[in-house]
Formats: sequence, structure tokens, C-alpha cells
Amino acid sequence: MTLRAAAVLLGILLWAAPSRAEPLVIRLGYPGIGIDNRQFAGGSIVATAHSTHAVEQEFANEPDIKVEWTFFRGAGPALNESLAAGHLDFAAGLGDLPAIVGRANGLKTKWLLTDTVRVTIYLAVRPDSGIKRIEDLAGHKLSQFKGTNLQLAADRVLAAHGLSEKNARFVNLDFANAIAALSSGDVDGSFGSVELFSLQKRGVVSIVYGTKGDDPTFGRNSAVYVTEAFEQAHPDIVQRVVNAFVRAARYTADEKNRDAVFELWSKTGIPADSYREDFANETLANRLDPLIDEYVVARYKDQAQRVRDYGLLRKDVDVDGWADRRYLDKALADQHLEHFWSTYDAAGKKLTSGEVEATGTVTH
Amino acid sequence: MKRFSPLLVPLGALAIWEAVSRLSRVSHELLPPPEKVAFRLWDGFAHGGMTGDLAASLLRELSGFVIGATGGVALGLLLGLSRPANRLLGPLFLGYRQVALFAWVPLLSMWFGGGEQGKVAFIALAAMAPAAVNTWRGTSTLPHSYIELSRVLMFRPLDYVRFVALPGALPAILTGLRSSLIAAWLATVGAELFLDVAPGLGGRMNEGRETFQMDLVLASVVLLGLLGLTFSRLAVAAEKSLLKRRAA
Amino acid sequence: MKIRQAGSRVVAGIAVPLLLLGAWSLTAREGWLPDQILPAPGVVMATLKEFIASGELQDATLISLERVAKGFAVGAVAGLIFGAAIGLSPRLNRLFGPTFLGLAQVPLLAWMPVMILLVGIDEALKVILIGIATFIPVVLNVAQGFRDVPPALREVGAVLLFDPWSMLMQIVLPAAVPSVFTGLREGLANAWQTVIAVELFASSEGLGYLMSWGRQLFQLDLVLAVVVVLAVIGFALNWGLARIEGRLGRWQLRPA
Repeated sequence: MTLRAAAVLLGILLWAAPSRAEPLVIRLGYPGIGIDNRQFAGGSIVATAHSTHAVEQEFANEPDIKVEWTFFRGAGPALNESLAAGHLDFAAGLGDLPAIVGRANGLKTKWLLTDTVRVTIYLAVRPDSGIKRIEDLAGHKLSQFKGTNLQLAADRVLAAHGLSEKNARFVNLDFANAIAALSSGDVDGSFGSVELFSLQKRGVVSIVYGTKGDDPTFGRNSAVYVTEAFEQAHPDIVQRVVNAFVRAARYTADEKNRDAVFELWSKTGIPADSYREDFANETLANRLDPLIDEYVVARYKDQAQRVRDYGLLRKDVDVDGWADRRYLDKALADQHLEHFWSTYDAAGKKLTSGEVEATGTVTH
Repeated sequence: MKRFSPLLVPLGALAIWEAVSRLSRVSHELLPPPEKVAFRLWDGFAHGGMTGDLAASLLRELSGFVIGATGGVALGLLLGLSRPANRLLGPLFLGYRQVALFAWVPLLSMWFGGGEQGKVAFIALAAMAPAAVNTWRGTSTLPHSYIELSRVLMFRPLDYVRFVALPGALPAILTGLRSSLIAAWLATVGAELFLDVAPGLGGRMNEGRETFQMDLVLASVVLLGLLGLTFSRLAVAAEKSLLKRRAA
Repeated sequence: MKIRQAGSRVVAGIAVPLLLLGAWSLTAREGWLPDQILPAPGVVMATLKEFIASGELQDATLISLERVAKGFAVGAVAGLIFGAAIGLSPRLNRLFGPTFLGLAQVPLLAWMPVMILLVGIDEALKVILIGIATFIPVVLNVAQGFRDVPPALREVGAVLLFDPWSMLMQIVLPAAVPSVFTGLREGLANAWQTVIAVELFASSEGLGYLMSWGRQLFQLDLVLAVVVVLAVIGFALNWGLARIEGRLGRWQLRPA
């Protein structure tokens, strides 16, 4: 009897086996590249997860599951196209604007966890230009790369400081040409992020303003998304991927690992010192926060509205129905991290303090 | 002395560049002196993996060129020799020619992916147009007497193409191929800019642009120019030997 | 008879594009390609109408056309002169040819920082870059045209004891006309492509800017709408050049 049962079982297994032996490839996409074509990212949870192979390690014991990262030179737009074509399962670290634009245009994704919040943007000017504060830009020329989330973030900052089309001229240039134009004196100011610091070190630019310390709703955000198709087909895999990201988040938000994290990110080609300056007077956890709390939801709603007002979108975006917190909540619970991160309200004021603050205070 | 006259202009330019660098107040960040660029080139090969970039770009370019140029010449022959093809496809091709390649990137990356295949496809598209246009021109302006003669001699169409049309249009085809080679080289850099990240000279140049390392940009540019020039010279030499046989 | 001939030509010309349009419609309807990548023709048409209604398309077209006109003029004239020079004089060819060829292989993007330094970021930058893009194919084709005059024609000139000037005006120039026009047409196509590229990186207006805007905002219907406009205008310009060439062709020489 048992022999027959065993034979039947074996038969079933053998019959079912071929379909399970086909390797599943988990395809993750990151919108951007490091310097020098390096396939690395920096400054975010996703960056840490990728560099420490967190996702690969989660599936290390499964020969049928492979993990594949693609770094998109065309950033957000190229990643969206890949999502539309069905070539990607996860969009890791996608910025707010391209994510909103993608959703408005019918891309079906679920917001799993946040990648970065409150990312500072800086204003760079020529060292000898005499511009010391952002308000000094009045009457000058500014470069912007239209249609990027940097431009939207910068416009908010400028508006808040009294600058607009009426008292400053805007020129559309991409980042590389913007710096060249800044150097040659054709524009007087340009916005950017961490990559500006090594330029400042070389004396090419001076950074005269940063959103850090200004209105807490300034700054950029990014998140991790999964396609609805993949999520419906493989919820267990999605959970494990989220687990891996949360583990990486725990590591990267811990102040004790501060220097190690900067060193890790320098694989992009941006020096660790630049990241150090970027995070000056700021805890890692302030930016590297996977929670989908009131603050970040409000930011995305705000951005979606702004994008409509700008005329960049003709349709509305439903931000509320976008997030699927189940996976994140389970990962946090399993890893005992429910109270690790602080939470903030829509205006950026702290609601609850997280355990992460015990890992260290702000250092320089 | 004659042999070296091609070097006069570049050397002159180099001298002016050096002078501007030394004498004007232009920042060295924006316009690095020649020595810095030369050093960067050397450094790139010695430590920076530039050989790998070079090889990758070359491979892409040659693959794309071969595919695109072959397709282009074939298309050009069709358009030049076949009245119906000319009428049906001519206007479409001319319209297509006017559209920037950039517009095809989303479709290309959809069909071929953003990796090597997509890049080669992009380069092939770029190489196709000049080859097609020149071949079309060359075959459509063949003297009427050729056609009449071949009719008298009762050539089959294929023989006509092989023995009359191709040799007659050869100079135009070869010009087309030379333009095609240049287009392929330029498109290689474009492909490396618009599609996924991978080793390549174009990617190097972009890295220089984005980190504002003008010495790297100029070093890549010099390398791109020299390589392209070498190819073109080789092509001219090949062309000369081919034409010698034709005249004979 | 002529009208029928012309009519049948037009029909033949639009047959294949119509076929493609049909295939496009079908693809969109069946959903073979996601509609973010290939929007349906109807959507593209609607976007076109929208942008024409708002006037944005006309403005963008005029701006791009103006840039192309200026850049093409500059590049074509310079190219004709330079191409003729190196085509006619082996010495000049030896002096300048290699340098020209080397510089021709330098991509537009590499020129930008240098040009920004020299001429700033305004119109001059775009016109010069378009000029460079026009210059290269014009020179290549014109030089070849002047260099490769069929030996039979040269013999005719020799037999008729032409002096160098008559040789040039009566034999070489007319024989070079096809190549000159190929060069001009290639130059025009290049100019159009370049204005798009330049507007991608360094401008806030124009058709290229609209296209880049469309891609940035994942509105590929806008990208395709611009593509349609580009194809139509480019085709029209090309046709115009061809007509001019046809007129000049009456004086063209061909070996019998």
C-alpha cells in the first residue's frame, strides 16, 4: 500500500516538477546610474539593498529563482517604458514625479514601501558670482531641466522665496550642460543634489542654499513599487523581497553604520565625503525611512496636484488606493521594527519617535 | 613634406588651444589644456579600462554598420532600379528619413531591449539611411544608354544588376557607405546615451559630461575622432582598390 | 494623361503609408503593444488637434523651422565652398581632408560644452550646431561630386580643348549637380534631426522640446504627433529641393 502511495506521489511530483523547475526571474529596475557607467546607486535604501545583495541573499537557497537588476540610463521615463512593456516586476527607487506620471498614464503598480524622503536639493552658483542667498537670484538666469522632479521641487523652493518667471529667467538645460553654462557664465544658478559636492570641492560651484532646515515639505521622495500582475501571481515572493528591503533599511538607518553606509554608497563613483556633506546635520533615518506614513502620502498627493496644475498631466491620480501596506507591515512585524522609525504628519511635524533615534544623534 | 601636410591643421589647432589655455582667463575646468587631456587619455588606457570601452563601442558600431549598410544598399537598389518600388516606398522612406532617431528609442527598447541588441538596432537604423539614399541616387542616375544596351543584349534583370547597375553606381554606393560609417559611429555614442548602461566610449564621454570632467570629455572626443578617421581612411583605401578594378 | 500619371503617382506613394496606418490601428485595437508605448492613431490624432488648437504646435514648428533654415543656410553654403575646394584641389584635400573627417566623427553632444563656452546658450548655439550637422554630409557629397567626374566627360572637355575655367563651368559643375543635391538633401535631413537633438538638451521651445517633453511625461502620443509633423514637413522640404534639382537638371550632363 505504501509503495503504491509512494509511486503515485512520485508520479505527481514528477509531473508537477517540470513547471516548477522553470526559473523565475525577479526583475528589478533602478532609475539611474552611477558615475562612469557603474551599475550602482547611492543615498537610498534601495542603494544599500542592491550593494549588499539583500534581495539575492533572500533567495540564495533557491536555484529556481533569480534576481536581475537593470539600471536605466534614461531614469524615470525609460523605467516607465520598461514597466509598460512588461519587462520589469519591481521599480525600486522610482522618484515621485515619474511614478505619478506613470500611474496617471495607466501603469498598474502597488506602492510597497518608501525608499527615501526629504532628500535635500541644493542651489549651486558660480563661486565668483556674488550670489550668497537664494533670494539674490532675482534678476538672474536659472537653469532647469523641465519635466523632472528636480524641477518641480526647485520651483516650490523658488516660489517660497519670492522667485518666479517674473523676476528670474529660466533656461531649459540638462544637468551636464547646466554646469557648463554655469561655468561659462551663461546661467547664474542651477539646482542639484549630492553630485554637486565634489564640484564644490573642485571650486567649480558654490552651494549657497539647501532645503535642509527650510520647510520640511520641501525635498524629494522615492519609493519601491511592484506591478499588479507580479503581485497577484507571486505574493509570497513580493513579501520576501519587501523583507529584504526592510532588512537593508534597518541596516542603513542605523547611525552606528553611518560611515560604513557612506563607504558603501561610494561605489557609485560619488565620494563618501560628498554623502557625508549631503547628510550633514541630519540623521540617516531622517531620509531612509520605508514607512508609508501621513507625511509621505501627503507629499505624493501634493505633488500629484501640482503636476496637474502645471499642466503636465491631464488626468487625476489616485494616491490613496496606491499603497499596499500589508507587505511592509508584515515585514516590520516579523523583524520587530514596528516602532523603529519615527512617523510624521502631513506638515512634517513629528508624531511619534522611533527607536532608531537611540542608535545615535546627529554627527558631522 | 607632402606626406605631413594633413597634420598641419591639427597641429595648428593644438598650438592655438595651448595658447588659449595659457594666456586667457578661461577656467581650466571648462577648457583643460592639451597636456591634461593627453594625460587623461593615457591614464584611461593604463588604469581606467578605456580599452574595454573602445572594444565594446567598436563591436557595436561594426555590427550595426554591417547590418544597416547592407540593408541600406539593398533598399537603395530596390528604390533605384524598380519603378513600382520607387513609387510605393520612395515617399515613405523620404518621410522616415526626416524623423529624428530619438523618436524610435521607446519602440526599439521595447522590441530589442535596452541592451546590446537594442543598441545595435539603433546603430543599424542610423547607418541604413545614408547608404540607401546614395545607392538610390547612384542607381537612378545611370545613363539611359546602359539600360538600352542591356535590353538589346537581352540581359536578365539579375545580370543587369550584377554587371551593369552595381558597377555603374559603385562610386555613389561607396560614398554612401562612407557616410554610413560615420553615421554608425555617431549613432554608437547616441545609443550609449539613450539606452542602457554598458561599457563604451560614448558612455565614457557622458560620464565626463555629467561629472563635469572636461578633460575626460575631450579625451573621449579625441579618441572618437581618431578612431572614426582611421575607419574612414581604411574605407577610402578599400574604395580605391575596388574602383581600380572597375576602371580596368 | 499627365494628370492621370501624377494621380497614380500620388496613389502609389500613399499606398504603403496607408497600409502601415492600418497595421498601426490594428495593433492598437488588439492591444499587441501596450498603449503607453504605441498609442492608437486616434489618440495621436486627438493630441495633434489639441496642440494645434492651443497654438503650441504652430509656435513650436515655426521656431524649429527658423532654426533649421538659419543653420542649414550657414552649413550648406560653407559646405558647398569647402566641399568644392577639397574636391577640386588635391592639395587642399590633403591639408584639410583628414582633419575634417576626424572632426566629422565627433558627436553633437561632445560639441555642446565647447560651443556653450564659445557662443553661450542662446540661438547662436543651436544655429551653429545645426550648421555643423548640415556641413558634414554636404562636404562629403559635394567633394565626391567634384572629384568623381566620369572620365568620358573629362575626355570630351579635353578634346574640345577647354581651358580650366570652361572645364569647371561646363563639365565639372553640371556633372556634380546630382551629388551636390544629394549632399543638400542629406544635409537637410541631418539639420532636422539635429534641431530635435539640440532642443532636447538645451531649449525650452520647438518641436524637439515638445518631443522630449512628451517622452519625459510618458505621453508617447505627443512624441508620435511630433513625429508625424516632422515627417510631413521634412518630406515637403525634401520635395521642394527635388523640384529645384529637377529644374537645374535640364542643364545636367550625363554620358550618353
